[in-house]
Amino acid sequence: MKSTTKLIKRLVLTLMISLIVLLALNIILMITVTSKNMGYTGGWTMAQKLAESLTENEGGGYELGEDAEKMLEDSGAWAILIQDGTGDVIWHSQNLPEKIPLHYSAAEISWYTRGYIEDYPMTASARGEDLVMVGNPKDSYWKAMQPTFSLELIRNFPRNLLLFAGVNLAIITAIYIIATSGILRSVKPIVQGIEALPEGREVYVKEKGLLSDLSGAINRVSEKLRSQEYEIRKKEQARADWIAGVSHDIRTPLSMVMGYAAEIEDETEVPEEVKRRANIIRLQSVRIRNLVNDLNLSSRLEYCMQPVKLESVNLAGLVRETAADFMNSDMEGKYPVELLCEPETDYRLMGDRELLKRAFSNLLLNAQIHNPEGCNIRMELSGKGKEIQIDIEDDGVGVTEEQLERLKHTPHYMLSDSRTGHRRHGLGLLIVQQILAAHNGRVAFGHGRNGGFRVEIFLNRSEEHAE
Amino acid sequence: MEYDFIKDKKILIVDDEEELRKMVVSILQKEGYRQIRTAGTMEEALAVCRTWQPAFAILDVMLPDGDGFVLFDRMKEITDIPVLFLSARGEEDDRIRGFGLGADDYVVKPFLPRELLFRIQVILRRTYKEEDPLIRLHACQVDLERAEVIRGDAYVSLTAKEYAILSVLYRNAGRIVTIDSLCEAAWGDNPYGYENTLMAHIRRIREKIEENPSKPVSLITVKGLGYKLMTEGKRQ
Repeated sequence: MKSTTKLIKRLVLTLMISLIVLLALNIILMITVTSKNMGYTGGWTMAQKLAESLTENEGGGYELGEDAEKMLEDSGAWAILIQDGTGDVIWHSQNLPEKIPLHYSAAEISWYTRGYIEDYPMTASARGEDLVMVGNPKDSYWKAMQPTFSLELIRNFPRNLLLFAGVNLAIITAIYIIATSGILRSVKPIVQGIEALPEGREVYVKEKGLLSDLSGAINRVSEKLRSQEYEIRKKEQARADWIAGVSHDIRTPLSMVMGYAAEIEDETEVPEEVKRRANIIRLQSVRIRNLVNDLNLSSRLEYCMQPVKLESVNLAGLVRETAADFMNSDMEGKYPVELLCEPETDYRLMGDRELLKRAFSNLLLNAQIHNPEGCNIRMELSGKGKEIQIDIEDDGVGVTEEQLERLKHTPHYMLSDSRTGHRRHGLGLLIVQQILAAHNGRVAFGHGRNGGFRVEIFLNRSEEHAE
Repeated sequence: MEYDFIKDKKILIVDDEEELRKMVVSILQKEGYRQIRTAGTMEEALAVCRTWQPAFAILDVMLPDGDGFVLFDRMKEITDIPVLFLSARGEEDDRIRGFGLGADDYVVKPFLPRELLFRIQVILRRTYKEEDPLIRLHACQVDLERAEVIRGDAYVSLTAKEYAILSVLYRNAGRIVTIDSLCEAAWGDNPYGYENTLMAHIRRIREKIEENPSKPVSLITVKGLGYKLMTEGKRQ
């Protein structure tokens, strides 16, 4: 819709500008063309010059100067001198046409000066008390016979001109809008349809009018998009179901592998070497178990099948619980966890208990997996303003810069295609990222102070718990 | 191995997979449990319940003739015993359903024998606490039923809070119990902010049970996390 109004605005603006440009151009053109002729006073000037150059000779007659004579000749005009009082022609040029009278009454003089004598447009000039009249060639001028304009009209001329221009502009715009609104009306549903497509809404545009082909195409695109989306969702669902199925089916057999391996390990009369192997089987089975759990949860989170159940969670308690569970399952005590947290700080936030616990548990397990010889783990909680920060750091083998870089930038294999040849990091950390993303938190990986691996987690306190 | 009254409790194991049943039986027997029966179907399990009257049941959720949740309800009609679900279904919904019905615990397969044994022990100690004889600690014995600490000829009684704290620690003997769980046990559902009070109670318990309260050997602090009770003659 927005783009349609924008389109209308743009079109009207273009029209306005072109109208104004056109008008300005016309005015300029008119001025340049007419300025050569407008207010042409050649006849009047000539009359004046003749009057000045006409001199009285000794015989009482009149004589024209040479220059004036030539001017008269060149212009093809004739001239007479009318005596004041008598109205008689006391001098005339050689080429005076025959029909021209030689005596004028006052009325005639006034009339002829204004207009024509026998179709000759007349100009005049005073010579003392007498009058010089020049008969210009026929068809050389047009003379306004009643050259009387209301002063009001002339004074208002600029305003009227603007008014005319304005009225014209309005009329043209109105015509234009009416004409284009028809087109716009048929474009509007199409524009709306196209705008709705990327939002994934169902789009149907009526297939009629000028642009019915276009409407049809949009409808087909919408249909195609929807069916593709449905297919993708179906596939994702199938994939998640498949993963859930596999992870379910693997659990019972794995129980037996784990159970019997642990039993052999505890057997007193079994040789040490066998016990050691049983221990490896048990540990690796636990790894497979964690992997299966991670795989299932990750796929559920990825395909949005795991709803995030928000409730008020005391993060300090949750972290303590996770660390205690971890240490309780660490039979040999190779991974002691130290937890630091300011006792007076409120660590409550809105979150999904199970998921958050899983994230912390995965980070502890990650330290265990990468440090088979054992390591010390240090967890620290701190809360500043709206954010709660949890640092988990170990003094184990840590990571190289290269691994860290890869951890930050390489997508996990579940999220990327199989063509890139890089080794990818484990599912455990991917889940941590997914869970934090679901809580609008963030996670950063880095080096620990004692060379180990360090993870920093940032979570937002909910509004009601913020200090 | 030290005599423990819970080892005499009758345990029923219900699972459709024979090999798994055998393994669980073997795990329990090795731990010293003496009375164990198994069932592969719902009907079998109900029959055992009627005739043998187990004290505790481990149920699989998926059985050939129905699901474990249904079995749970029907068993409870016969006898009100604690139940632990042992299931390959690990989704949160299933666990919530299990706990919602009133199950005592929900263990997801695959499990380590120790995890299972520990949880069974916690349930049995909690359910049959009045039958529990003395807890043997390094410097004394504790009679939880009478809330008394026995040191040689001397008897020292425990306060209600001390009793609550010590009970939870005992049920989880050998494992870290978080500050939060202890506070919850002593002060109920909203235990936030009782940490300092808890420390005071722990100090008083130590005065009663430890030889040298400033160098505890039975009630151990795990810094930042919680406390751990070490009992004598028990596997840690």
